[in-house]
Amino acid sequence: MAGAIIENMSTKKLVIVGVILLLFQAFAFMVGGLIAPSPTTAVHYLAIKCVDTVKHRQEAKWFMPWGPNQCDKIRSFDEASAKMIEANNIVFAVHIPLPDKEMSPWFQFMLVILQFDIAFKMYNQIEDGAMVTVDVGVAYRDDTVSEWTEMAHSYEQRKLNCNFTTSKTFENEGRYYECDLLPFMEVGSVAHKYYLLNIRLPVNERKKINVGIGEIKDVRLVGIHQNGGFTKVWFAMKTFLTPSILIIMIWYWRRITLMTRPPVLLEKVIFALGISMTFINIPVEWFSIGFNWTWMLLFGDIRQGIFYSMLLSFWIIFCGEHLMDQTERNRFSVYWKQVGPIVFGSFCLFIFDMCERGVQLTNPFYSIWASDVGTELAMAFIIVAGICACLYFLFLCFMVFQVFRNISGKRTSLPAMSKARRLHYEGLIFSWKEFTLCACPSIFVQVNEGHWHWGEHTVQVNSAFFTGIYGMWNLYVFAIMFLYAPSHKRYGDDQSRDAAANSGEDIQLTTTITHVDGPTEIYKMTGKEAQE
Amino acid sequence: MTEECVLRCALMLCCVLLSANASNWLYLAKLSSVGSIRDEETCERLRGLIHRQVQICKRSVEVMDAVRRGAQLAIDECQFQFRNRRWNCSTLESMPVFGKVVTQGTREAAFVYAISAASVAFAVTRACSSGELEKCGCDHNVHGVSPEGFQWSGCSDNIAYGVAFSQSFVDVRERSKGQSSSRALMNLHNNEAGRKAILAHMRVECKCHGVSGSCEVKTCWKAMPPFRKVGNVIKEKFDGATEVEQRKMGSAKVLVPRNSQFKPHTDEDLVYLEPSPDFCDHDPRTPGMLGTVGRQCNRTSKAIDGCELMCCGRGFQTQQVEVVDRCSCKFHWCCYVKCKQCRKMEEMHTCR
Repeated sequence: MAGAIIENMSTKKLVIVGVILLLFQAFAFMVGGLIAPSPTTAVHYLAIKCVDTVKHRQEAKWFMPWGPNQCDKIRSFDEASAKMIEANNIVFAVHIPLPDKEMSPWFQFMLVILQFDIAFKMYNQIEDGAMVTVDVGVAYRDDTVSEWTEMAHSYEQRKLNCNFTTSKTFENEGRYYECDLLPFMEVGSVAHKYYLLNIRLPVNERKKINVGIGEIKDVRLVGIHQNGGFTKVWFAMKTFLTPSILIIMIWYWRRITLMTRPPVLLEKVIFALGISMTFINIPVEWFSIGFNWTWMLLFGDIRQGIFYSMLLSFWIIFCGEHLMDQTERNRFSVYWKQVGPIVFGSFCLFIFDMCERGVQLTNPFYSIWASDVGTELAMAFIIVAGICACLYFLFLCFMVFQVFRNISGKRTSLPAMSKARRLHYEGLIFSWKEFTLCACPSIFVQVNEGHWHWGEHTVQVNSAFFTGIYGMWNLYVFAIMFLYAPSHKRYGDDQSRDAAANSGEDIQLTTTITHVDGPTEIYKMTGKEAQE
Repeated sequence: MTEECVLRCALMLCCVLLSANASNWLYLAKLSSVGSIRDEETCERLRGLIHRQVQICKRSVEVMDAVRRGAQLAIDECQFQFRNRRWNCSTLESMPVFGKVVTQGTREAAFVYAISAASVAFAVTRACSSGELEKCGCDHNVHGVSPEGFQWSGCSDNIAYGVAFSQSFVDVRERSKGQSSSRALMNLHNNEAGRKAILAHMRVECKCHGVSGSCEVKTCWKAMPPFRKVGNVIKEKFDGATEVEQRKMGSAKVLVPRNSQFKPHTDEDLVYLEPSPDFCDHDPRTPGMLGTVGRQCNRTSKAIDGCELMCCGRGFQTQQVEVVDRCSCKFHWCCYVKCKQCRKMEEMHTCR
């Protein structure tokens, strides 16, 4: 009868393994904190107000805010009213990035957020539930001289959620409303060097388009992209981690196939966990440097979704298999009640993601939150997913409680037990502690923003958290596969006593991983009889 | 040797005399005739700049348009904030722009220095994000820039550049003489307080963009407050400004509150050296001291805009005037207003 490695390892070796894992963990944190820059950058853009002077403009004329061939600008709208320029002739132009810089595929994605500066005027206030309609086009080019190529063009509606914090009196005219950020554009790959956004706010009084949106003073954009340096560090990490997990996976599976019995459920689940980890690890993102794959964001979401649902299922099954009561499990169908919510919840999130990022593949300006129906639908998906998550955690907490109760029950009798059993339970308790220790940090990812200055070094806390947590999951999966791989060692002196199988303790032991192992079925029966 | 000494002394004297007019560069706002400042030669012709400022101008010509807009912004904001006070920040067509009012170390001077330092930082930052300037957050001459460049780690915030530029351009006058005179210390302190008014009121905004838009990944940035808000903050500091005097602390000279019972001022507070005049009467010897004769006042108010205080007890005249107002207007978000004209009679009170 072969137990898992964790049960057969000496305490000294376990400590060594633990220390090595801790060292790697610290290393993962340090890679992010010391080498990588902060994960993302937000760049502010202030739209230049261009005047579209040509009455019947030919299509696809692009307005450049600066540089050669720049448009006719106006500084303020007072100037525009003096020159009798109408709202429909004003184009807000934003060039991404700012002068003298280039975008790069290493930025991975680009999000743009829209903000209006709206001044309060007693007689021209924002109406309740005002919608703003933007006519927006985005174009790209790869050198500074060629023509712009259109990437997307769309009419979008966004809800203005503004409030005025001071009293609405003449005194306070000219103060700005405080408006919510409007999600504007999301592109899943940054394949080109220069991007140009042309935004119009057409007015049509008959159709009530852009009427009652107050007095707009400025249009501001915030562009968010991943930092090239962070991407490089991230890729390097993935490239290093993929083979490590792959190797331990192969080793693990070989060990299992070497055994005479078929693999038990827990072993299969651990293997599946390894597969999903490798799925995340495989650095397909390298291709995004060469190819314009806009679906990378969506794909990344799906990969993460699969891993997390696998991890959650693993925890449930791990708990269930360690319950140490007399019920027979070892079948996936036993866990449908607990795994069901995970599957359903992640399915909901998948649908939601397809509705948001899936549609963005064709229209980068699309946002499910822009329309009322979309918002309700999205909220419905998220709430259902939330309920599923709550259900899951209730189940999990209950199971954890049960396991701890059983273990502490066993613990009191630990010294009296034989060495094998003691090791087994100590291993269990150890893995439980590891599990709780590892699960906690991920909740506190968002504790702190920015960076710490530490002498001359700047520690990028956010990057450290990202690489640290990513490394942590990898180490977790690695450790699980290593420690729960079947051991070649035997329990030695226990063997004979186990064979006798006449104490009640034996049964509890056999309900864990080892219990399907060939002759254990007989033990079980004999054990049960003995108990009765 | 003695000749050199005399020369040096004369230079020093010149500097001290000039120092009072450290806000002369605000005159840029009045130079609409110059057009945009494009080449280095224009820098020489700009009135109101001292030599070191001309050098900065030559070194970064592209920023000067923003500086000029900043000067205009400062004047506009000053006039808005002081519209109801006896001194209403009225400008002259000559230098210094505000007349002699700001040459003494008064509260008003403190306000003008603070708002102008803030406005330069503000205008330069704005110019950065609209793409008019090329260096900005990625400029290696400005502190806080990562050495690896835009592609590796992005650039630092534009506000850092705006503030740094304001520091080098606006403060250069005081810095060039060393921090000796109490007036220089006061100006430097108020300039810094003005910039702090922006920095302390930066709005933090965040966007979540993790899996399915969750907050697993969150990016936060700081957005500059609207300038009206900056003006309001500095005006509040003006109302609670501290009167200070220079004292020696070891080898350094520092400004401490004149009344030792007051708690010491912070970096964000305004300080002044002399009490303000009452601004009641027109004084032909002090340019900019226009007095309150002919100013409109509010009859019902008990505050500084009330007729009692505004007219310094000289009384006021009341006239019936016909006001043509716009009413039942239709607005578009830009440039289009269609109104009816409504006429109504109103009482207008003006100071005698």
